[in-house]
Amino acid sequence: MNRKYFLSTVLGIGAALPALTESGVRNGLQHDDLPLIIPPYLRPGDMIGITCPAGFITLAEIQPALQQIEDWGFCARIGDTVGKKDFTFGGTDAERAADLQQMLDDPSLRAILCARGGYGAVHIIDRLDLSGLLRNPKWIIGFSDITVIHSHIHRHLNMASIHSKMCNSFPDDWTKAEPVQVETILSIRKALSGEKMQYAATPHPFNRAGIAEGALVGGNLKTIETLSATASDISTAGKILFVEDTGEYLYSIDRMFWNLERTGKLARLKGLIIGGFKVKPDDPGDEYGRTLYDIVQERVKPYTYPVSFDFPVGHQKNNFALKCGIIHRLEVAADKTTLEESAPYKNPQQGSAAHKIIPAASANPKIIS
Amino acid sequence: MISIPPSLQPGDTIAIVCPAGYMSLEKAQTCIDTLKDWGYIVRTGKTLGGDSENYFSGTDEQRLKDFQEMLDDDEVKAILCGRGGYGLGRIVDAIDFSKFKKNPKWIIGFSDVTVLHSHILSNYKIATLHAPMAAAFNDGGDSSPFIQSIRTALEGKKTKIQCETHPFNRKGEAVGELVGGNLSLLAHLVGTASDIKTKGKILFLEDIGEYLYNIDRMLWQLDRSGKLDRLAGLIIGGFSENKDTPRPFGKPVYEIIRDLVKKYDYPVCYGFPVSHEKENYALKVGVGYKFRSGKNKVSLEE
Repeated sequence: MNRKYFLSTVLGIGAALPALTESGVRNGLQHDDLPLIIPPYLRPGDMIGITCPAGFITLAEIQPALQQIEDWGFCARIGDTVGKKDFTFGGTDAERAADLQQMLDDPSLRAILCARGGYGAVHIIDRLDLSGLLRNPKWIIGFSDITVIHSHIHRHLNMASIHSKMCNSFPDDWTKAEPVQVETILSIRKALSGEKMQYAATPHPFNRAGIAEGALVGGNLKTIETLSATASDISTAGKILFVEDTGEYLYSIDRMFWNLERTGKLARLKGLIIGGFKVKPDDPGDEYGRTLYDIVQERVKPYTYPVSFDFPVGHQKNNFALKCGIIHRLEVAADKTTLEESAPYKNPQQGSAAHKIIPAASANPKIIS
Repeated sequence: MISIPPSLQPGDTIAIVCPAGYMSLEKAQTCIDTLKDWGYIVRTGKTLGGDSENYFSGTDEQRLKDFQEMLDDDEVKAILCGRGGYGLGRIVDAIDFSKFKKNPKWIIGFSDVTVLHSHILSNYKIATLHAPMAAAFNDGGDSSPFIQSIRTALEGKKTKIQCETHPFNRKGEAVGELVGGNLSLLAHLVGTASDIKTKGKILFLEDIGEYLYNIDRMLWQLDRSGKLDRLAGLIIGGFSENKDTPRPFGKPVYEIIRDLVKKYDYPVCYGFPVSHEKENYALKVGVGYKFRSGKNKVSLEE
């Protein structure tokens, strides 16, 4: 990294500082100094709120999810935005912000399941007051456009969250669902219940072997790109980054990986996980000539960390729940890839007060501030 | 202080290279002939009509080398990018601007070339020319006022562009340095070493073929990264061939923009002739302009 580039990166972060301190609910500490908050895991009877911070969904469409939540022994509270529609959005910006805000502040909720992605979280994210969430940590669940929320609360609170399928992916008929659908939906319950998560991915010839340990962060690549230099920008240094996307041209995917590189998000990773990419076919005569694998391999060539392709996360059936913010161990070998929560929660930089972890088991976690 | 490359004299050399997507020599022929008619010598780089068989006009190394050679060659007084597409972001960090910095020359193009405009302005404070590229000379384009505006700009004549008003326009006057280009690229560059500063400046935007929700998202990124709040003025060009999702976004582009900048009070105009269509005047990025959004006319004057 040349000096000029480094400086501009630093300035980029500096520029976002006013926004950080405005919502500086954590004593104005910068992200990397914040101890990780793990919201309390759910127990039978605990309440999950369902809201639409982005695209709209009908009440009928969330029925399969409601059924599962009840079958799992949890209760569901349906937010005002479910069934609301303002063109593509689940209600106006004000309505969506109010619904989510109310849930963030509500001490009786243990989790907030975003009903679907689509687009729109960025319209409301700067309106949210995170102090209620900090007082009452809870799991935020979703992916795709919800990457905005994961990235935002990771940056501002360093609070763990769950990247997973949403209401619109619950199978209508559980008995006829494919095994992968059942497993991926059950992985949400596992994650919420505090089970230690473990994943395996099939080997890929382009994988780069190695072992990495670090906080897991990531989500939708295009969303991550459009958060660059905003108050929700993702911080990746010393972490394991996962990315996925859908409906993008190869040239655009290439451009997004260059964006990660040029905004300093690839250089100091511990590991890189490439999930599913549903690539939009090239226009005739405009063949890009490189595959996703070529694109990634080219970008990570200067580095040595492990890289795993075709990981089961993305806009696809094979989309397992991942705990963002939590320390994971990634092992990429010739015959298999595994990712698992590190146990016990021990930071590589042992003894650093900056990485004190708040215990998960406590139903009312004490906030270190 | 911005440095402005010297104007071109008859007999000066203009180089045509393709630093991004592929272009056949044939498609650039009218452009070459027109530049010769204007009294310039044209030198074509290896990346124009090269033997590349994929999307790019050559490998990263070939494109970099071709551009670098023209940049460093004292004979070459201007570099016209044959076309955009995609590819400058892959080589921009490797371009050595040290010689160019001492002897600036006009860099001409738009779309993907927004990367160069932004990078050069932010890092070297040198003006560049946002203008149509080689293919726009074809099919009679060479005699259009848009192509002619490249000549006017290269000859060092000051320009004044006027256009019709739009019902969404916000009236007012602004004086400031002109910055901007393709929205997708400007958003993509946020947070990188090629990012632009917009405070106190007149920003112009155009794009093609994007989903409405994505245009909205990119504009929100500009806003959230502090690029829209302290503008002197905002010029909205063409947003052509917009796409929409099966669930309609519900607002056309100009409404998206109008609603987003409602909270600010600088002058704004819509439908300015800068775009991926024929209406695309040469604009000097980095140069001071006076922007008037009036009752009956919109004007942008050097």
